[in-house]
Amino acid sequence: MSHQPLSPTASSVWKIVKSAGASVSAGDEIVILESMKMEIPVTAEADGIITKIFVEEGQAVDEDDPIAEIE
Amino acid sequence: MTNDQPAIPPEWQEKLAQFEWRRERARELGGARRVQRAHERGQLTIRERLAKATTSFHEIGEFATYDDVDALGTLRSQMPASYVMGLGEFGGRHVAIGGEDFTVRAGAPQTYLDRMKGGLGGFVEDLAHEYRIPLVMFMEGIGGDIAASGEKGHSYLVSSLSWGRSYELLGEVPVLAMVSGASAGGTAGRTVLSHFSVMTKDSVFFSGGPPLVERALGKLPDKYELGGAKVATRSGAIDNLADDEDDAIAQMERFLSYLPQNVWQMPPRTPTDDPVDRPIDRILEKIPTNNRRPYKATDITSFIVDIDSFFEIGKHWGKAVTTGLARIDGIPVGIVASNPMHLGGAMDAHAAEKQIRFVDMCSTFHLPIVYFADVPGFMVGPDAERANVVRWGMRAIQSLIEADVPVVTIQVRKAYGMAVSATSDPDGLSLRIAWPTAEWGDLPVEGGVEAGFAREIEDSPDPEAYRAAINENFKNIADPWRTVEAFGVEAMIDPRETRVMVADFLNASLHRVETDLGPSKRRWTMRP
Repeated sequence: MSHQPLSPTASSVWKIVKSAGASVSAGDEIVILESMKMEIPVTAEADGIITKIFVEEGQAVDEDDPIAEIE
Repeated sequence: MTNDQPAIPPEWQEKLAQFEWRRERARELGGARRVQRAHERGQLTIRERLAKATTSFHEIGEFATYDDVDALGTLRSQMPASYVMGLGEFGGRHVAIGGEDFTVRAGAPQTYLDRMKGGLGGFVEDLAHEYRIPLVMFMEGIGGDIAASGEKGHSYLVSSLSWGRSYELLGEVPVLAMVSGASAGGTAGRTVLSHFSVMTKDSVFFSGGPPLVERALGKLPDKYELGGAKVATRSGAIDNLADDEDDAIAQMERFLSYLPQNVWQMPPRTPTDDPVDRPIDRILEKIPTNNRRPYKATDITSFIVDIDSFFEIGKHWGKAVTTGLARIDGIPVGIVASNPMHLGGAMDAHAAEKQIRFVDMCSTFHLPIVYFADVPGFMVGPDAERANVVRWGMRAIQSLIEADVPVVTIQVRKAYGMAVSATSDPDGLSLRIAWPTAEWGDLPVEGGVEAGFAREIEDSPDPEAYRAAINENFKNIADPWRTVEAFGVEAMIDPRETRVMVADFLNASLHRVETDLGPSKRRWTMRP
């Protein structure tokens, strides 16, 4: 089973916290977005290993854009 | 058992046989083929919906008939009229309930009858009005159709139809609408004249369907891209999304459970085994003291309301505010909360529109409002301006001032700019309870200093140092404790004291609510 955490809002990617290959637990922060001077964490929904990060720091993302893939 | 039943007198047999024959025909709806098609789409027929939703149902207009004629007016067959309705028990209470029968002329209005059964006015809406009971509507239809002209022998000017009753009901009784299948044109219009609407995820809702769009705009859109549940619940046309019809019916029951039967009655308080002094220490873990860190509004409100009592409304649109019904000490209340996860909680036009709709509904049914404010201002930027954020924001302020109900505001964190006026009721008691994380002002100090003293900073011999000094000075002034000392905010409390305090004020406020029932007395009839 894999899942893709999505961007909850239009924003820019402020910080990539975890990189591909890292193992994560549900609730761990993977990427932090910035919108309206707020740091918005994108978190893993379930335990797993990050297979891909779809975004780069500084990149603009829209609501519902996939941020990462977790196996 | 049958042996105990007295024989039916012979003179009654023929009358009852005809009765049974007619009833059987009414049960057939638009015929087995059309019923089967609905089932294949995973939908219930209107009769199945009514049977599922109600614990008792007394049908009215059961034998009203539609004469199915061909394009030249020759009678092909007779079918039951395209609306089924009556008096039902729904969620343990009396309601007027009905819906279009999509298997009969796609649920088109019954203009062929002497009196409409429902769908736009009609008996079912008169029943809700006269008996002051909620109206529950299953919306599945395409509105008017050209066949109506054929039946009447003339086309009619649509404005001859009266919408008055449908609008009137919004100020009298709860009106609920469920969309399963297609709701288009007039049916879509009637759907939004409700206090709560819900649609199943595979349904469509639009002003005009794909063929109409193709004729008007020259391009045939996909029906789900045009008006699928994702579109309709993000535009705000429909309040909530449901997995299926069972879920949609359950959501309507849930919504109704917080509301009175009509505006002349109190919202139903329910017994609760959740004590108001339940320890809520863990709320501190959920309120970030770093104001750049967002949180989910519901992660905070869930500590204050009775356990599992929150029912969110409008989750998919205007997401900078979260709205929903809940109970505190068993008292039904409206919850509005800034949602920093979206636009940092800044109020954009959609959020304002959603809040107005919700606040107006709470005011209509006498539900006190608890507002959790964390708002950096009205949304700024080109998108916000194009969406007319200032007008919508000012309307949001007006609706809260006009609300006929107690409003308790929790100052969670940020409170900047005009948008703050849309979080409390300055012309009422204006009870604003701050937490120590609260901060406020005309503008945040960082941005405000730049805006207010640009010239002075520029002209100073050491602009950087001067800017830092001004910042420091205004940070001291902005310390919320100074405002507390000036009684510029009504209370400052430990967040862990919030539930018990809000519950006590709400209990006291019921003396006001109980003596203020009846239709809304809006002071200003014009929204800017």
